[in-house]
Amino acid sequence: MITRYVCAALACGYLWIGIGFSGEGSVHDKIDALIDAANSKVEQPVAGLADDAEFFRRVNLDFAGVIPTVGETQSFLADKSPDKRVKAIDRLLGDTKTYARRMREAFHVHLMERRGENELWQSWLENSFAENKPWDQMTREIIRADFRDEPNRGAAFFYTKRMEKSGQNPTDYPGVTRDVGRLFLGMDLQCAECHNHRLIDDYNQVDFQGLFAAFSNLTLLREEYPAVEEKLMNTKLEYSSVFTGKSREVAPKLPGLNEIEVAVFEKGEEYNQAPDRKTKTPGIPKFSPLTEFAKQMAGTPNFSKNIANRLWFLLMGRGIVEPMDQFHSENLPSHPELMELLGQEFITHGHDIKWLLREIALTKVYQRASTLSGDEIAPPERFAVALQRRLSAEQLLWSTIRATGHRPDDVQLDNIEPEEEDGDEIPGLRERFYEAMANEPKLPEHEFSPSMKSALFMMNDTEVLKLLDQIVDEKATLDGLYLQIFSRLPIAAETAEWGKYLNETENRKTAVRDLAWAMLTSTEFVVNH
Amino acid sequence: MHPAIANEIAKNNKQVLFVWLDGGMSQLESWDPKPNTRFGGPFRTIPTTIPGVHFSELLPRMAKLADKLSIVRNMHTQDNSHSAGVPRMLRGDPANRGVTYPYFGSAVSKILGPGESGLPPYVWIKPGSGGFKPENAGFLGPKYGAIAFGDGKRPENFTRPDAISPEQDELRNELRRRFSDRFAKGRRPTANEAQSYVYDMARTLMARADLFDTTTLPARDLDRYGRTELGQHMLVARNMLEAGVRFVQVTSYGWDTHGDHFNGSASLIPKFDAAFASMIEDLDDRGMLDNTLVIAMSEFGRTPRINGHHGRDHYPEAWSMVMAGTGLVPGAVIGATDAEGIYVDSPHGNDIGAVFHTWYHALGIDSMNEEFYNADQPLPMAHHEMEPIREVLA
Repeated sequence: MITRYVCAALACGYLWIGIGFSGEGSVHDKIDALIDAANSKVEQPVAGLADDAEFFRRVNLDFAGVIPTVGETQSFLADKSPDKRVKAIDRLLGDTKTYARRMREAFHVHLMERRGENELWQSWLENSFAENKPWDQMTREIIRADFRDEPNRGAAFFYTKRMEKSGQNPTDYPGVTRDVGRLFLGMDLQCAECHNHRLIDDYNQVDFQGLFAAFSNLTLLREEYPAVEEKLMNTKLEYSSVFTGKSREVAPKLPGLNEIEVAVFEKGEEYNQAPDRKTKTPGIPKFSPLTEFAKQMAGTPNFSKNIANRLWFLLMGRGIVEPMDQFHSENLPSHPELMELLGQEFITHGHDIKWLLREIALTKVYQRASTLSGDEIAPPERFAVALQRRLSAEQLLWSTIRATGHRPDDVQLDNIEPEEEDGDEIPGLRERFYEAMANEPKLPEHEFSPSMKSALFMMNDTEVLKLLDQIVDEKATLDGLYLQIFSRLPIAAETAEWGKYLNETENRKTAVRDLAWAMLTSTEFVVNH
Repeated sequence: MHPAIANEIAKNNKQVLFVWLDGGMSQLESWDPKPNTRFGGPFRTIPTTIPGVHFSELLPRMAKLADKLSIVRNMHTQDNSHSAGVPRMLRGDPANRGVTYPYFGSAVSKILGPGESGLPPYVWIKPGSGGFKPENAGFLGPKYGAIAFGDGKRPENFTRPDAISPEQDELRNELRRRFSDRFAKGRRPTANEAQSYVYDMARTLMARADLFDTTTLPARDLDRYGRTELGQHMLVARNMLEAGVRFVQVTSYGWDTHGDHFNGSASLIPKFDAAFASMIEDLDDRGMLDNTLVIAMSEFGRTPRINGHHGRDHYPEAWSMVMAGTGLVPGAVIGATDAEGIYVDSPHGNDIGAVFHTWYHALGIDSMNEEFYNADQPLPMAHHEMEPIREVLA
């Protein structure tokens, strides 16, 4: 077992040494054993391992956020070493820059749900993943949102974006409360704001209000960087249920833990550092609910299982607990022992994200093929076959650039400033892909649900067509196209069908372009499988 | 919903036109005028084709069509703010279940389905920007959101580039289908179905560029509807309904006349009158009124009291909305306000929940007994303590 400190030391180095724990007691073997046992019990047919090409594409999309290059695919396919898959995983996890960018992109969407952008937040995320910062530490930095902690200032964006007012509506403190519950504790407490949850016995109004007590005490600060301030708090929060009408009170409190004692001070003694009205610097209250929350949050009952479940979802396309923000005793995990195992091991390994991702990637389950023979039906929750998973707008952007033979440097990624003063910016590829492929704000991007906008985009957008025009090479072979776009070689039947098409065409240039377009817009390209 | 009932309803060919007058149209300058009273304002009234019923003189064409309408004059709702009030009206303001209820358009999309047109089931024609509006669908899920056409124009990336001929477009989509179908073998079909669905819908829409083009319509139509923004948008809406789109929503902005209200009304209401009356006439002409539910309303009415800026302010306590078409009794006036338009007659008037029930029933959907399902959670379709307005249902 690697202790947290050894882990950190290794991660801070430039080489991620693939310590292959492939023995009986390894976590990945235990994961496989649990899922196999559950499938055997119900005689569920399972898929075999994915072939090299499918595995390699999948693991690149998951850890690099982009399909592999033609050269990389060819090398991997040609590699004869028996442990080439482990080596590929370790190489990808060790490529810190690419890994950090990919994880930043994934967690930005996961935590901010397309609400908006902020440079400091993005760089805080990226740095956190580059250092392989443990998740509990990342959580502390988000929850504490200490603007005085300059390197980690960006973390406050989680609160500040949600606290921005829209129209005549008041600050959405309930929204902040709900999202902290959902994303960090696996509990959607929205329906417990005004009364105990009608359907979920484990979710009580006091759970919501205990969180709300701390978050409703925040004020947005007007700074160039994301920043919040905690007001003085010297009483508990009063609340009542709309059903019973009984008045209650609660101090800041995390679900499953005790109330935090509200510290009361003499007037004039409440601050460690008094606010300065002249410089408009907020004070530092002696009693800071956020500090207490930050300290205690990792100790809440579902904290570790929640993140383990979400990391599992990232690689597998479905949580062990679904929906992922409904951890409660009547919502059974698809594999209860597995959920316990992952939660426990994650704690033991100091909430080391890279460690858990690696263990999952080493499982047979992760490496399964995405096809089942015959008419077999595999309910997704059995993990009997690899699921077809949504690719993010980011993954599609980088992959489409690569699949059309380009590099990010030689395409128009960024917007072009208008020539006239009152003209419009011309959107670059990045913005176009986000517009077409990302969800509207606040809609989690968990499922593959393409929009008509994405279809119109791929059919008619001029920048997309430019990318395709530049792919066109009359000498392009079918094998070349398959390697570049699908990251695999065609099977015999495909070579027959498309080879014929290419050879019989009058205008090979157009034929190649149309074939490439059809491949880019086919289901095979737009999902992770 | 019970599968057998769902099947029956799916065969239903009803359509909806939903005209939203954003900001609060004044009932006193339209459907329920109070001339020569303290708060009546400067406009006169005119008789309508319903004996004993008068509209404001600002609605001359609608006055002639009153006998096709069902007019609710005792609207009494809860919210006098735009930000909260607009979504509450559009979502039917059911009792709080902790879920976001769908807009009526999203609900109808889900229950009645897209129909046979291959076009999006829920289309929204509005000034300003367009785009996909999944938030309208609430807990039903983003699939049932609205597709908004900004300024009634074609969406972005609508036109095939010149470099691709129609034949090539057909060909490359055929190739796409073949690649996708090959991939779908041995895999769950949902991803492939979703991908095909959006490409098919996009192409169907692209083939109907004419739906967005009002310039080719006869001058007589353009004049009848009015060469105004609302008039043009209403014509696009007519195109959409004729093409079989299930639910068409048209929004007109600018109705929040807190100041200079009478000049404002004199400008806004006749434009609405021309566009809306023309639409009702045309639907009737085409035999479509029997199968189309037509609605025109705002989030509230306007105060009888005239403020210091010659304006009227928000007034949810007593206002009017109109509907017409399928399942309704034409020429019916529901409820009344008192002599000065301050109070509604019955103790509670009609809240939006009752109106939603009425709409569902008009479409043949039993909202009192059917339920939505949010995962496992059964939810009433409209406010569980309210009922449809029976007098107006055919």
